[in-house]
Amino acid sequence: MELDVLAKGIMMGFGMLGPAIGIGLIGSAFMNAVGRNPEAAKYFGQVFVIIAIVELMALLVFASLFII
Amino acid sequence: MFNILQIIAATEKSGPAIHITPAELFTIGGFGVTNSMFYGFICSLLIIIILVITAQRMTIRPKRGFTQLVEIGTEFIIGTIENSMGSRKKAVYYAPFFASAFFFVMFSNWLGLLPGVGEALTYNGTPLLRPFTADLNGTLAASTIMMILVQYFAIRENGLKGYLRHFFAGNLKNPATYLLGVFEVFSELTRIASLALRLFLNVAIGEIIIAIFTYLGSFAAPVTALPFILLELFVGALQAYIFTMLTIMYLSAAIKHSHDTEEKGESADEMTAQTA
Repeated sequence: MELDVLAKGIMMGFGMLGPAIGIGLIGSAFMNAVGRNPEAAKYFGQVFVIIAIVELMALLVFASLFII
Repeated sequence: MFNILQIIAATEKSGPAIHITPAELFTIGGFGVTNSMFYGFICSLLIIIILVITAQRMTIRPKRGFTQLVEIGTEFIIGTIENSMGSRKKAVYYAPFFASAFFFVMFSNWLGLLPGVGEALTYNGTPLLRPFTADLNGTLAASTIMMILVQYFAIRENGLKGYLRHFFAGNLKNPATYLLGVFEVFSELTRIASLALRLFLNVAIGEIIIAIFTYLGSFAAPVTALPFILLELFVGALQAYIFTMLTIMYLSAAIKHSHDTEEKGESADEMTAQTA
């Protein structure tokens, strides 16, 4: 077994960890805001914009799978 | 489970075809034309023809069908600009630039999902068609043009002095102002790269995921690839929205000078509300 397979596995695992936590925090914050103030539900589109900013990190990790 | 995967993989000679970079098709006067450029021109032509015909068919009384869809998209963009700039007049003025960017990115993403785009049609051994947004050069060009437009509009709205004051805000006798201003200019440059990378990676990785699941599905490829194609339809529209939304946010941040005003009283209320 070649070692770069192991490297790719470790990179995917740890690299996806941060963005996953980040997107979860965004979702929980949005739900909290809607729960406290139902008027805030109209900002649902903004949530996707912030998620896209976080998602870039996860995509960079996934793209480097094909480079190393 | 693992054995089944190995058996399926053994029946195929090679893995899924994965391309990160576009391939060169032919040269015109020493200028290489890649497959993504070729498909980008086709998409632009299609979009221009469709949108011009739709604009001519537009009437005051709403029509059914495709015209209404384009109207909904344009109205959506105008509403988004109005929300972030706070003025309907400005929104209608800036809408054409952002609406064309939105429709171009969305149609490029969606036309990239058509059958025949990718490995199916080849020219001299290289794939003939490749979605324009699945090429870093293309998205980098698009984001550079959008950011240059943002700077141009900001200079025209505020004048050159006001534009520079946006970067070098604060007391001009303080050397820290210049240091922070350089960082502001640098962050404007990183926005180009982040816009381009986000669009490129989303589309290119969508293509790769579809290729991988078509390969893993083997004989059942239509069933395994269908959910990801539907997901990519959603992601394509979402990325077009995010691309335009972020540029609108950068523009409204560049032409607005509300960061000088201090908020009074509200912060104290928020503090008490949080502790209560």
